[in-house]
Parts: sequence; C-alpha cells; structure tokens
Amino acid sequence: MNYRVLIIAALIIAAALIAGCSQSQPAQQQPSGTAAPGAASSGVIKIGVIASLTGPASNVGTNMWNSAQVAAEKINGDGGVTMKDGSKARIQLIVGDDESTATGGNKAATKLITDDKVDILVGGYSSAVTSAYEQVIADNKIPFVVTGASSPIITHRTDGIDTSYVFHHCPTTDTYGEYTTKFIDQVIRPAVNKKLGAAESRPFRLALLYQDTAFGKGVQTAVNNTITKNKLNIQLVSQQSYKMGDTDFRTQLTAIKAANPDAVYLGAFPNEGAPAITQARRDIGLNTIFLNVENNDNAQFYKDLGQYGEGAVIESRYSPYIAPAGAVSDAQNGFKQAYFAKFKTYPDMMGASTYDGIFIASRAISNAGTTDKAAVRQALVDLKMPQVVHAMKDQTISFSPDFRESTFDLWMEQLSMDATAGETRPKIVWPDNLKTTEFVLPSWYVPGPAS
Amino acid sequence: MDDISTFLQIIFWGLYAGCIYILLATGLNLIFGVMKVVNFAHGEFLMIGAYITATIFLLTGINPYVIMLVSMLALIVMGAAVERLCFRPILGTGKLNEIFLSIGLIYIIQNGAAIIWTDEWQSIRSPYNGITVPIGTLDVPLDYILIMIITAAILCGLYLFIRKTTIGMQMQAASQNRKGAMLVGIDVERIDVVSFGLGCALAAAAGTLWVVSGQVFNPYIGSIPAVKAFAIIILGGLGSIPGAVIGGLLMGLAENGAAYLLGGIWKDAISFVILIVVLIVRPTGLFGEKED
Repeated sequence: MNYRVLIIAALIIAAALIAGCSQSQPAQQQPSGTAAPGAASSGVIKIGVIASLTGPASNVGTNMWNSAQVAAEKINGDGGVTMKDGSKARIQLIVGDDESTATGGNKAATKLITDDKVDILVGGYSSAVTSAYEQVIADNKIPFVVTGASSPIITHRTDGIDTSYVFHHCPTTDTYGEYTTKFIDQVIRPAVNKKLGAAESRPFRLALLYQDTAFGKGVQTAVNNTITKNKLNIQLVSQQSYKMGDTDFRTQLTAIKAANPDAVYLGAFPNEGAPAITQARRDIGLNTIFLNVENNDNAQFYKDLGQYGEGAVIESRYSPYIAPAGAVSDAQNGFKQAYFAKFKTYPDMMGASTYDGIFIASRAISNAGTTDKAAVRQALVDLKMPQVVHAMKDQTISFSPDFRESTFDLWMEQLSMDATAGETRPKIVWPDNLKTTEFVLPSWYVPGPAS
Repeated sequence: MDDISTFLQIIFWGLYAGCIYILLATGLNLIFGVMKVVNFAHGEFLMIGAYITATIFLLTGINPYVIMLVSMLALIVMGAAVERLCFRPILGTGKLNEIFLSIGLIYIIQNGAAIIWTDEWQSIRSPYNGITVPIGTLDVPLDYILIMIITAAILCGLYLFIRKTTIGMQMQAASQNRKGAMLVGIDVERIDVVSFGLGCALAAAAGTLWVVSGQVFNPYIGSIPAVKAFAIIILGGLGSIPGAVIGGLLMGLAENGAAYLLGGIWKDAISFVILIVVLIVRPTGLFGEKED
C-alpha cells in the first residue's frame, strides 16, 4: 500500500477542511472603480450580498441573505431608489456564497464584482473570512457595507490593505467587549460582593473562553484593554481558546472551573456558545453566570440552550423575542412580520443589520445619484439617514470619519425560564433607561472564593 | 477543585473523545483492511448515523441508546449500497479514483443531508441528562459512562465476530491475502459488502454517541473527525484494529491534554504532530506490518 498517497491526500483534505483560513489572494482583474456607471441608467441597481450560504456559518448566512431579500422587496415595493435625475431604479440582489471559508469568500467577492458587475456589496459574517477578501475590495475600489463581521480589523487594518471603501455597520468587538466588561463591573461585581458579604476591594474573578480567530481574540483584547484602561477591579483568572467550529469544550471548561471564576465571558458563535454553556452546567458543574456576545441572540441559541440558559446574559442590539420600547420596536416588528410572511421563520441579528445594510446601500446610491463607485463611497462618508431597525446613536445612521464605523445603542439582557416556551427568554437589565427588570444571581449560582 | 481532580477530569474527557475516534477509526480500518480502499467520506456516515438517531428520538421519544441499533442497521444498508454502486466499479483502478470518488461522496451526502434536515445546528438531550455518577473525586454524567461501556461492548462484539464466525474469519483471510482468499473459494465481493456495511455501522454508533453526549450537529460535522480517523489509522497502522483502538485513545487523550496544557488551538494540530513523529520513528505506524 502506498502510504505517501494516503498521507498526502489526508493532509490535503485536512488543509482544505480544517484550515479554511488561508491568506487572501490578490485579485488579478483590473480595477473597475472608474467604470462608466451604466446600471442606474438602465433602471436597475445591482447589490451583491456576500453571505455564508453553506459551511459552518450557513445558519446565520442564510438569515442574512433572506433579510436582504425582504429589504429589497420593501424598497422596490415602495417605488425603488430615487436617482439624481428623479428617475426610479429597482434593486436587483445577487448573492455570493462565501462557503464560510476565506477562499470561498475570495471567489464570491471576485465573481460578484467581475462577472455580475454589482454596484455595491453588502454582508460578510466571519471576520476571518471577510478580512481575507478585503484585498479584492481594495483592488476593485467597490463600496462594501459590512453587516456581520465584528472584528475592528475590518476597517483598522495595519497590513497596508486599503479599506477606505469598507463601511462597518456592526458593533465591533472593541465596542461590545468594552460595554460588556463595564456591565460586569457595574452590575455583576456588586451583586457578587453582596452575595459573598465581601468588601468592594475584592477583585471580580472573570474567565474568558474565546474562539481563536480575529473575532474571538478581538473580544479577549477588548476585555483586557477595558480593564487596564479603566483600572477596573476585575482579575482575569483563566483565558481559554478553542478552534472555530469546535463542538467539545469540556477540557477548557474544566480548566476554567479549576480557576474558580465569578463569571465566564464567551467570545463565541451561537453554535459554539450553546454547547459550551450546556457542557459547563451539565457536565462540568460550572454553575456560574455566562456572558455572551450579541450574535448569540437568535432563536436557535435559545432552543439549543434549553434550561441551561437560565441566568445567562447576552449583550444585544436586536433580539428575536424583545425590542426596546419606542419607534425601533415598530420597525423591528414590521421587519419580523415581513420576514415571517416570506420564510415562515424569524430573522436574527445579522439578518437585521443586513436589512439595514440594503437600505444604507440604496440611500447612498440615491444620495450620490449615480452608481459611480467613488461617488457612492463619498455618499457613504457623508451619510446621515434615520435608523432603520436598529437603535442607533442619535437615531441616525452615519459612519465615523476615522474608521467608517456606525454607532449602535446596545443593551444587556438576562435569560430566565419561560415555562410556556420550554426554554429561556430574555429581559433587558441594563442600561437603566431601557431595562425592564433587575439583574439577579440565580439561586444555584456559585461564586469564586470570598477572598 | 485540586490539581489531581482537574487532571483526572481532563483524562476522562480524553477517554470520551477517544471512544468516538475509536469507533470511527475501527470502521475505517475494517474497510481498508479488507478492501484496501481509501474512503474520505467515512465521517459522513457518522453524520448520517447521528441524524437518524436524533430524528427517530425526536419523533418517538424512544431511548436513543436503543435507536443506535436501528441507526447501525440503516448504515449497514447504506454502506452496502455505497460499496456496490460506487466503490466496487472502481476497485483496483488506482488510489486517486478512490480518493476523488470519496471526496465527491462527501459533497453528495452532506448536501443530501442539508436538503433533508436543513443545515442548522441541532442538538438533543439524552434521557439521562443531568444524572451524575460519583467516581472517586469526580461527579461524572451517566451518559459518558454509558458511552465508554457501549464502545467497549461494541469492540468486544467486533472481536468475537471477527475471530469466531465464519464470515469474520473470511474477512481476516481477505484482509491478509485477497487473492489467496479467492483461490480457496471465499466470495471476496460478499466480504467487501459486509466489511463496508460493518464499517459504516461503527460510524453510525459513533454518530449516535456524538448526539447523546449533547454535542451539536449539522451536515458538516463528519469532515474533521474523518480526517482525524485517517490520522489515527495511519498512526496505529493501516489495517490494524488494535492500532485503531490504541491510536483513537491516544488521540483523544493527546487532544485534550494539548487543549489544557498548550491551549485550545493546539487541539487539532496535535493529532498531526503525533502522526508525523510516529511516522518518522516507525513508518508503518504503531501496529502496522511492513508493506508488501
């Protein structure tokens, strides 16, 4: 038997299936930023949507693509996009499947730009995947509204790749990592001290379990930086990582339990966070508070968690089950109903920001009055439009002048068991102006040592 | 929790992971030992086994450990069909044909499963969810004890089948010398079907144990375990069942040890580090025989 063929083939397959995060390949095609803007004149605006329709992130990716379709139908149903000459243009969506891999993302972006000749791109989920095809975006100078990838690296690259055409409509790991860490300091830490009868000087014992990617490391970095910058009385007692898509976290959780944490912050996707919490509570006996990143706030996460979600906390900006009171509530309900009417299920958070993204792309082209890519980019730079389904700072969508990031109003929610649903449901517990109930430590909660 | 207790827990999780690997790698080795075919789609049979068990469990509520038998039977049929329709026609035409056939099967089976079950992550709860058994200083969930007992029972059953039954001995004969087996009147094509079916049934058992332990699953879960199963059979020695057992255990322990000592990112990489080291020191694997 020829061992070499077997081993080489095994390693090729391993490389293809496991890694999936190769370096980006520079695109070979000519820049098309100066191409004549003919699409709008023909009455059609082509928006390319990059989503993970297959592979590990397909659940979220499908939701993003479906949401984009709901947005396009809404805009077209309302008459389309008004152009500079007063004419109306219809939106045509074209999807590119990034296959949840860097190479797939490169293929999808290249095809959308060169074959389909789209006017603008919207989407992108995994930060590792999205950042891998930013070279293609830079080479072609095509506006790209990123609505899913949350690593700040998306618009903060230091490796020379030009991201000036990339606009980030999604809170970054820096933003929500800092927000969550401040919640821990201002709400959970005092509650634990009270339960233990400990002095204010007792350091809060926080553990991290994070995906070893730009996204997960972004969460880890944000927590560390927030603690240092604000001199918070939080001690990181264990920092454990895992490979993206892993399903068995028991060893890392065993190490975390050995460190006696007061809470665990997960930098994880929903398909990782739910089994991690389940394994922690059921298999390891780690009865603590689990804090989750916003992308976990989707229906499948609640379903997978079952009763083990009790007491967990999610930083959020869009939930399948609740909305903050006010105008955003109506907008979110309208979006959810339109989505349900078409797909018989409900949209998740990345779907909601992609819905926003289609409106942003349309507004930018309308403001530019043309599909010329440089003009559309400038329109995005100058953009000031009312919030769509997300609560935004000053109720306005605009991008920061330095790194082209929009600013969301976030909140923290805690899960409690809903006997009717047979699973947990969220309630907003922070900040004070949005909260509907108080954060509580569950009766089974076990904190770290008192001193 | 003291250091010893933590260490014992890590070993325990390593043994649990090893059980899944052992079943998958043993099935792969059974097929390779008899047919000498390279089937990269073996992990997809684990995935199908997982879905069959989960689906029947969700529809009927029958104990998933009982459903495992149905799942294994279903995979015997599926394995036999794949052997007859896909591998037999290309048997002996070259390893590259087998490799690309099996890569094609990966996509066909994965996408077929996605059409039937969708590609959303799913999970089920074992009926013994929440029940723990005290072992020394550890409180171990009952499901993991059952998983280890079932794995051991399946391996004992497989040993008896191969050693004591006529067809088992014919499998050994075909594995040792295919032409010789044909010359003495053994219907090797029938043995091929049985071996492939049995190998797939073991993958179905691994899939069932995967879901009862609460692991999430979707149509793509089989790829990485299959790659590791290949690493295990090369590590243990191609065609060697004891090699697959020892290799699987070693891999489970090494992965969890590496995740604890070096960090989670090393969990997958350690499999291949060990493989390379073993191949340098002992090119035929731990229990492998010299090539013809």
